[in-house]
Amino acid sequence: MIPKFNKIRLLETGHKSAFYNMALDQALMSNVKDSIPVLRLYGWKPAAVSIGYFQSLEEEVNVGNCNNLGIDIVRRMTGGGAVLHEHELTYSFITKKYPTNIMESYELICEPVIMCLKDLGFDAKFSPLNDIIVDNKKVSGTAQTRKQDILLQHGTILLDVDVNKMFSVLKVPSEKMKDKIIQDVKARVGGLNKTFDEVAIGLQKSFSQKFGIGIFKDNVKTDEEIEAKIVQKHKYCSYEWNYKR
Amino acid sequence: MERNRLLRTAHNLYKSKKLIKILLEYEEDNENNKIINSVRITGDFFLYPEERLDDLEMQLKGTRLAKYELKRKIDKCLNSSEAFGFDSESLSDAILGCLTR
Repeated sequence: MIPKFNKIRLLETGHKSAFYNMALDQALMSNVKDSIPVLRLYGWKPAAVSIGYFQSLEEEVNVGNCNNLGIDIVRRMTGGGAVLHEHELTYSFITKKYPTNIMESYELICEPVIMCLKDLGFDAKFSPLNDIIVDNKKVSGTAQTRKQDILLQHGTILLDVDVNKMFSVLKVPSEKMKDKIIQDVKARVGGLNKTFDEVAIGLQKSFSQKFGIGIFKDNVKTDEEIEAKIVQKHKYCSYEWNYKR
Repeated sequence: MERNRLLRTAHNLYKSKKLIKILLEYEEDNENNKIINSVRITGDFFLYPEERLDDLEMQLKGTRLAKYELKRKIDKCLNSSEAFGFDSESLSDAILGCLTR
């Protein structure tokens, strides 16, 4: 089932802090209109580690190394694994209309991402539940949540990957196996070697094509900005949230 | 039934479709049954709705560490939710695996 939308509201919100990025996603969820989903494209400055909703920050992240490297740490409202956000484009798609089946909804929203990557010359494929691969390497990971009948899917599209840096800030299950794990990840994860703008333009086109409707560029509204700032301060910057597990 | 108050802690790392990490606190009653005092379940899995994991951890308190009882409790608690990366079978095994580590 492909939901019928009137148009897509595009927000290009630049490179912002991890805390603001997560807070704005949440604020946009509470303001999304019935037939006008939001496509938000953004980056992370400073670089940041996000952990999945069910993860333990202390178990997953080397906090000392993050502090030394000026890397922020935030808990997402979505499940999945820990991610170092640096050389990537992140998208959020927020909608009130979506397939109730979770797998179908992942596929639906990953499809325009795959279309974009194909347009850029990559043989991209969906890899259930939540990845997109090119030549057997993961180039995009996604995560979803549903709150009060509103769906948020955010996903990364890797432009470049520094696996050594990744493992200087992420902990591995076994220190003894660290070298092997790093080699495995190097073999299984890859960047596109494209610019942020190339991917951003491609996504606007592919989302418009996939849903057969126009996209209009918009700005974050004042009330959304105010809500995001409040949520940023009281939730995503808080010890209680980030060390919840 | 009166329990002896010796609390034991144990942890386990269990690879299902996703990675499940368990931190378990349990005690033994006079009949040597091992009873969950608290359990924390973390990992890179997905569960919808997410808040159901807190409910599950609460519900597992007081449960005997036996496969059938764990699985039944997990099935009941996750009845109206959807999990990706684990199921009641693998989560029970992950919790019980704490006892052998």
